[in-house]
Amino acid sequence: MNLPRLFRTTAVRLTLRYAIAYAVVMGLLLAALYWTSSRYVDSQLETGLEQELYSLNGKFESGGLQKLAQAVSQREEHGLQEGRYYLLVGRDGARIAGNLLAWPPDSHIPYDGKVHSVWVEDDIIPGSRYDDDAYWPVIVRELPDGSRLLLSRSIRQAEDLQESMLYLMAFILTMAVLLALAMGVTLGRTILGRMDTISRAAGEIMAGDLSRRVPASGSNDEFDALAERLNSMLDRIQQLIKGIREVTDNVAHDMRSPLSRLRNRLEVTLLEGRSKDEYRDAIGKTIEDAESLIRTFNTMLGIAQLDSGNNRTQWSHVDLNTLASDLEELYKPVAGQKGQEFRLVTGEPAEITGSRDLLAQAIGNLLDNAIKYTPEGGAILLRVKRLEDAIEVMVRDSGAGIPAAEREHVLERFVRLESSRHTQGNGLGLSLVKAVAHLHGAGLRLGDAGPGLTVTLRFPHSRTD
Amino acid sequence: MRLCLSGMHILLIEDDVLAAEYLTKGLGECGHVVDHAADGNVGLNLALNGHYDVIVVDRMLPGRDGLTIIRMLRADRNQTPALVLSALGEVDDRVEGLRAGGDDYLVKPYAFSELLARLEALARRNQPAAQQQRLQIADLVIDRQNQTVKRAGRLIRLQPREFRLLEYLMRNAGRLVTRTMLLEHVWDFNFDPQTNVIDVQISRLRGKIDTGFSVPLLHTVRGAGYLLSESP
Repeated sequence: MNLPRLFRTTAVRLTLRYAIAYAVVMGLLLAALYWTSSRYVDSQLETGLEQELYSLNGKFESGGLQKLAQAVSQREEHGLQEGRYYLLVGRDGARIAGNLLAWPPDSHIPYDGKVHSVWVEDDIIPGSRYDDDAYWPVIVRELPDGSRLLLSRSIRQAEDLQESMLYLMAFILTMAVLLALAMGVTLGRTILGRMDTISRAAGEIMAGDLSRRVPASGSNDEFDALAERLNSMLDRIQQLIKGIREVTDNVAHDMRSPLSRLRNRLEVTLLEGRSKDEYRDAIGKTIEDAESLIRTFNTMLGIAQLDSGNNRTQWSHVDLNTLASDLEELYKPVAGQKGQEFRLVTGEPAEITGSRDLLAQAIGNLLDNAIKYTPEGGAILLRVKRLEDAIEVMVRDSGAGIPAAEREHVLERFVRLESSRHTQGNGLGLSLVKAVAHLHGAGLRLGDAGPGLTVTLRFPHSRTD
Repeated sequence: MRLCLSGMHILLIEDDVLAAEYLTKGLGECGHVVDHAADGNVGLNLALNGHYDVIVVDRMLPGRDGLTIIRMLRADRNQTPALVLSALGEVDDRVEGLRAGGDDYLVKPYAFSELLARLEALARRNQPAAQQQRLQIADLVIDRQNQTVKRAGRLIRLQPREFRLLEYLMRNAGRLVTRTMLLEHVWDFNFDPQTNVIDVQISRLRGKIDTGFSVPLLHTVRGAGYLLSESP
């Protein structure tokens, strides 16, 4: 897995985007934290200065300048170590006590006992330990006798604290962004890996192994769901291809015998000189064979076109009652020839939208089957019935019927039951009915008439139409 | 077998040269004169400038397709009957073909006898017989207004559909009529009824108009259709 490809994955790109946003937000948060904490440190310093001034002021009030000077002197040494600075000057400005060497040159410090930020030079800091010149918080008070007391604190400690905090924050931020990136890359790798599995399977299927399926990882995630979907699609395709193969085989089988019969007859006729009538007869029979081949072929094409289902432009209103009685007129005499009783039952108006010719073809096929498979003297019923939510067209005969297990099977193309092998037909009749029914959104059901077969076409319909 | 009548001038616009050759030969043997164009533009020119009894036009043609040719002819007020040949053959195509101004439609592969019968019916449908109130052949007479049928003066009872069937046969008397033509014109159906429904209808009609008379009028032409004629 090469890097450029990895960085093109959605996962990595998304992660990068989120990592940047995350870093910005986190940076803002840390900045706020830094600002707040340094404010806190500053105010701590100020409070400390104010408190110490208050306490030293107490010394002055209880014991005068001398006691104050003593207290300051006591604190000098210790203060120097902790970064606390003192300076007590007399009314004339002369230094009395304190660890600061001189009054800061910036002498406009208000003597109001409040904390101010004052520039403190190196040269007034004794020994110049580790404190550099900087703005320091300074508090000054003028005592009642005219002397002045100045307190200050080094900001060095606060700066150290802030600095280490800054380092810590930078470290956290870097780690967080790196972690996000690492997660993105891992995620990208995982997704790429799963995609590669699917893509490999697709490649093998394209290469011809139709039985290959996309393996699932067993984690039941969306990739497994996708794999399952793809697999059921592949199942369907394989099934369709199998169906097409079967039909092709059947076509080959059903076409081969009439074709070879046709050819053989012509060959045999040509073997010897024959009379004009014999030639005539052979040609006539050949034309009949060709006719039946063409018919089978056309029916197949017709079914295929119906199955593609996009020829509804010329549909109109079809009254199924009228259609049924027209068909009765056409088929009743045929039934009559076999001594069968043909009965038509129609009722309430039964108009649907559809193709009259296709519907006639479908019902005609059913009637044709009924007449063909019902013995002499049997009965055939054609009934149009309007129900609450549908219109039913039913053809019932008193023939041998179709065993329940075979009923789905006979709707397939070119299927002819053993019992009907000796009768004429191409095994496409019911397939065509099924295709027409499907095109009209109608249900097709085969049932038992005990004895006999009922075939019902059920057209969905609402009363309000 | 009487398949042929004579004397039509037919324009055939068909790009399949071999098929056109067979048709020209077949139609010629029946006494018709055939002009053939293998290209849509040539065909349209011939159709516009010649006088034909009927035009046979393929739907798919180089140059200009068949339906366009018919539309242009009709736009030019040329009402020469036209039969459309097509390899498509769905209901919609058929309706489309007729809407474009075609008078009949035949799907390949078709039987030559079917084409011939339809051409003759087309070319002669505007002749007086089509409008006459009283039609007669030999001693069989039908009156379209009163819906009565008489043979040798004897009244024959027919059901309405049987009357329509006989009427159609009478109008095309002496000419071959195919089963599909009957199904189309008598029952308004355009589908393949699989079995011999038309044969049974014809034999019932034959039972009524021929049985008991010395000269049969309704003849079966094997592998093709039927013929109403005094002489077989």
